[in-house]
Amino acid sequence: MTFGNAVQRLFAPSARPFTIVVGTIIVLGLFDRGTGYFFSIGTVFSVMQLFATLGLVALGLGLSMLIREFDLSVSGMVGLAGCIAVLTGASNPWLGAALGVAAGLLGGLIQGLIMTRLNLSSVGVTLGGLLTMQGLTYVLTDNQTISYPKIAVPLGLNAPLAGLFSLRSVVALAVFAIAALAMRYTRLGRDVIATGSDRRASRIAGLNTDRVVISVFAASGGSSALAGVLLSYSLGAASPVALSDVLAPAAAAAIVGGVSVIGGRGSPMGIAAGVLTLCILSSGLSAIGVAPYVHDLVTGAILLVIAILDAPDLAQRITTWQFDRAERQRNALKGASS
Amino acid sequence: MTELTFPAVLRRGLPRARYIALAVRLAAAAAIAIYALTTPGFLTLLSANALFTAISFVGCVAVGMTFITLTGNIMSLAIGATVSASALIFLACLSLGILPAILVALLFGVVITGAQGFLVGHLRANPILVSVAALSLLLGGAAFVTGGHHIYPSGAGLEIFKDRFAGIPIDAWCFFTTVAVGQFILSWTRIGRLMTMVGSNVRAATAAGVSTTATVTAAYVIAGACASISGILLAARYGSGDMEIGVGYDYTAIAAVLVGGTGIAGGSGSTLRTLVGVIVISVIEVVLLLRGFSEQLQYLITGLLVLCVIMLHTLGERR
Repeated sequence: MTFGNAVQRLFAPSARPFTIVVGTIIVLGLFDRGTGYFFSIGTVFSVMQLFATLGLVALGLGLSMLIREFDLSVSGMVGLAGCIAVLTGASNPWLGAALGVAAGLLGGLIQGLIMTRLNLSSVGVTLGGLLTMQGLTYVLTDNQTISYPKIAVPLGLNAPLAGLFSLRSVVALAVFAIAALAMRYTRLGRDVIATGSDRRASRIAGLNTDRVVISVFAASGGSSALAGVLLSYSLGAASPVALSDVLAPAAAAAIVGGVSVIGGRGSPMGIAAGVLTLCILSSGLSAIGVAPYVHDLVTGAILLVIAILDAPDLAQRITTWQFDRAERQRNALKGASS
Repeated sequence: MTELTFPAVLRRGLPRARYIALAVRLAAAAAIAIYALTTPGFLTLLSANALFTAISFVGCVAVGMTFITLTGNIMSLAIGATVSASALIFLACLSLGILPAILVALLFGVVITGAQGFLVGHLRANPILVSVAALSLLLGGAAFVTGGHHIYPSGAGLEIFKDRFAGIPIDAWCFFTTVAVGQFILSWTRIGRLMTMVGSNVRAATAAGVSTTATVTAAYVIAGACASISGILLAARYGSGDMEIGVGYDYTAIAAVLVGGTGIAGGSGSTLRTLVGVIVISVIEVVLLLRGFSEQLQYLITGLLVLCVIMLHTLGERR
């Protein structure tokens, strides 16, 4: 039974994201068969580069899912903030970055205000927000790819630090650390969990849930905006069409990271583990040298397995099925004996 | 509101907030109509039925998406990829003849999306995660089979889609039929009523002995069939296809569903509302185009208007 207990503990909701990361590393390591392409500093570096973009978006989306909402506008925010940063940061990159992140915070704030004041669902509002932000990005860039004049900025952001990290991934990790500490040790963090677990009860207990919702959406906007700023700066360009497909992997990463759509469950560290899983799959598979489509197939299969294992009715359905089978066997025996 | 029949209105009277909401909605609709009708070239477009063709592709997808939203499963992120994949399969199977090709493409959409519906309905798996998984599998599978190349028709027969029937393009007929059949299913069949019930309260429906498995799977099957119809029409229109052909259709479709007034929480909605939503969005787009707004501004204004319409819908209602 101790083995069973250990397994159970590994797959408990709070530990599962980390179990999945370690499992992914072990499985990819086995497939690597000691050629050393997977366990290399280069792979770690590229994992962290992917993490810098996907991680911050998944963090924002995951926070909104924690309070039982869904922020569809994250991908619009990535594009918009990137364009703002590249357009306004030509002379001073810090100014551009600040304006980009400020736009994200403001966008999230406005969406949160609309939701709470008008009592609207987040999917509708953020869908409108997504379309609006995409439109704004098209207007700002005049429907063209805009290159960033300062070569030093992309080089500086992407230069390896200690071989494993870059300035970009260090910034992303720092944001995750701040989010994790804030969720664990501040009043706001506990308020977020309370709002996600049961909003009515929290409100009755005297919590200003509207303020929590607005804060979470502002944080989500700011986090995805930072991802967009970092991405555009490190590419040295911004384009209105890039990265419209970041939403699906970000949602997947948040859910793999243990954020429950029922709300109130999940943590920034879990989200980080979920993002790492997807990034390790992505760079690990290409390091081993499989065709790109295998990556899609493997990711899809893993997500499907998690979706099935995570389904609330799975245990009940299995019990019913076993019961039915036992019943059938008993009837068959009865039929045989009589 | 549309669901209040007239006697009920007389008995209870509309709450005042609803009167205001109704007035604002009518005013908004009138404003859009007047602005459209005074746009030079809009009436010729209407008489040439060009507008109908333009709305058919996304319209079919939106009708399908209505069923997913209605059963309380928000949206499927895999629908765009299903449209693309159905288009590819249709083109690749054309050598078998036009009818078998249509059937194979429809079957594909039904099986792929129905399987997602089974997981969502039977195990109550998270619909967003299931659809993201399906999206990955579809993209990977398509890249494996096609190698990322364009697919061209393997046989003849695409001409029949360019025909007109009673002066209206075939694409538009397909779309209107989808809307009508969808509305028939929702209003007049048992399974359609059950979909609304499951959408408004899963636990109550289960307690009443409704099989969520069958109901949700049926909703997804319809969504898959609609996506395939859209894929077939797109393939026939463009004469070739790749996985890019349906990109973005999921977002446009859910926008049309919400603009039409189907509630995102599930349990209230209809394909007729989605028809209205599709028409409103396309009219806005076409009018902006005819009035000579730049492409960038078209995107921005459409986005803002969609946001406004969605906000209008919940005016005077309590969530």
